[in-house]
Amino acid sequence: MPETSDNQMNFTAGILALLLPGAGHLYLRQTRRGVLAGVGVLGLFLGGLLIGGIDVVDRKEDRWWFLGQALVGPLTFAVDYYHQNMLKAYPLDPAEVASGRVRADRLAQLSRRTLMPGEKRVVKQVQIFTPTRETDAQGHPTERLAPGRSVKIAYAAPAGAGEGPPNTKSIGRMNELGMLSVTIAGMLNFIVILDALFPTLLPPSGSVRPAGGRP
Amino acid sequence: MNPLTLAWRPFLDPLNLDHAWYLLLVPMSFFLAMGYKAVRTVDMNRYWSQVAIFTFQMVIGLIGLGAGFFVVVRILLPALAPMDR
Repeated sequence: MPETSDNQMNFTAGILALLLPGAGHLYLRQTRRGVLAGVGVLGLFLGGLLIGGIDVVDRKEDRWWFLGQALVGPLTFAVDYYHQNMLKAYPLDPAEVASGRVRADRLAQLSRRTLMPGEKRVVKQVQIFTPTRETDAQGHPTERLAPGRSVKIAYAAPAGAGEGPPNTKSIGRMNELGMLSVTIAGMLNFIVILDALFPTLLPPSGSVRPAGGRP
Repeated sequence: MNPLTLAWRPFLDPLNLDHAWYLLLVPMSFFLAMGYKAVRTVDMNRYWSQVAIFTFQMVIGLIGLGAGFFVVVRILLPALAPMDR
């Protein structure tokens, strides 16, 4: 039986609400409220993704928006992980990747980006080479490339006929609306989390709140 | 049909609705009202009517804001500070 004693926070309900929108209220046996709150938050979240595409959740390029979106919970982080690691790619020179040797210092300067029309995402196994400064017998500084670990790397390659990027970068009004919808979902879930965290504000049972409690 | 619409992949590509973007405010307002009223409504028997009223209030409020900004940007500001063309 969930704890619903007065004047206490219910951490379990709060954590569950953070993990999945509406789950805190389900734990508090406020089934109808939990389901409806979850549908509201997830409807805004998925609606935003539908409007603007997965590009609206991007912790690297839209950091401040992501802070609000993160309040939806692990779902946002999962979407962002998929976006960063399964859809974006490094803007490396295809010839450099084709050689199978990529410099670590060059890779460190680059960040993965959304592919543009005319590009496709290709994953290739390459070996990372780390440059080290040395001095030759005459005392001149030289650079030596020390072979490092072998990794799979995704890079942007020119697309052929019938090929294209795995997703489309959203811009303009659709991007604004999608990002706004997902961020509002996060802020709405914050209200839902607080409501689950403080069960003293919830009715002890049933669906009717105590009179004079809340507007 | 627009070829962009045919090629649309849900959740990967943005919707091609730039010409009617304002219609998307209605479902956004509806889901926001659903979530908010789920935790704020006292009597859950009145839940759906509360959601409908709140959705209506938000949509009307947004239309009012839009109309207000239209008046300021297109009528008031050009009247107060006309630009040489």
